[in-house]
Amino acid sequence: MKFAVIQFPGSNCDIDLYEALHTVCGADVAYVPSKESSLDGFDAVMLPGGFSYGDYLRAGAIARFTNIMPAIVEMAKAGKPVFGTCNGFQILTEASLLPGALKRNDSLKFVCKTVELEVVNNDTIFTSEYQKGEKINLPIAHADGSFYADLETLQKIEDNGQVVFRYSKENPNGSLNNIAGITNERGNVLGMMPHPERAVEALLGNTDGLRLFKSILDHAEVKA
Amino acid sequence: MTTVRIYVTYKQSVFDPQGEAITNSIHSLGHDEVKGVKVGKFFDVTIEEGDKPVAETVKEISEELLVNFNMETYSYKILEEE
Repeated sequence: MKFAVIQFPGSNCDIDLYEALHTVCGADVAYVPSKESSLDGFDAVMLPGGFSYGDYLRAGAIARFTNIMPAIVEMAKAGKPVFGTCNGFQILTEASLLPGALKRNDSLKFVCKTVELEVVNNDTIFTSEYQKGEKINLPIAHADGSFYADLETLQKIEDNGQVVFRYSKENPNGSLNNIAGITNERGNVLGMMPHPERAVEALLGNTDGLRLFKSILDHAEVKA
Repeated sequence: MTTVRIYVTYKQSVFDPQGEAITNSIHSLGHDEVKGVKVGKFFDVTIEEGDKPVAETVKEISEELLVNFNMETYSYKILEEE
């Protein structure tokens, strides 16, 4: 299974994602600059955190127009794993690969800390290694992470089991229904504000993010 | 050339934290008569008129880029026509 880590101008968590997959999980992974237009040969695509295009207009709004986006949409349509963390999540909503939007934190502050999450749905290709209802801790670092969707959309994603992670102790940004991460209807596109790639090594104090990457790799093995 | 000012704001139902913070600051200045502030942004767009009506260009660029309809709405007015 080969992973693509997309590098947009202004991405700054691309190396974290690469190392989590390559060094920690031993996966086959390559960087793909957003000016490229093909993802041929890749089985999964990872959108990193950061500030693509300086968050101009809205976080993630300009990245949608990069050359690589049609190929990412194709991967999503083909049912392949597409993952976005932080700015990657914002880009996925702006590209309409995920419902809703991420707006400015209610506190208006950039929040950088570790928060507790509940794994709401472990029946996804991204979370099968977790227990349903399990509490995990992951770092967040964002100013625009308040998940918003209109009531009808919110009801739909709740009913479909698309909410995968919820903030469980405190809501750090004002997200509706304490939502921290959601999938698309089909379940092969996951966006989340927390950073699992920053919690993959015991030496750095936290390995709660590791099983997310292992889940994707397990899924590939089962399929193969 | 036509210059159009496009205003983008949160939908009425969406909480605007900046607006609330500014309202609170205005109250601390003693202006209790101010009952609310909504923050938005505007874009002054200069358009050369051709076959396509200006209104259509405004609609297209707003819907395709300037506005995120999940949370925002827009309006516009024509500033200048030459």
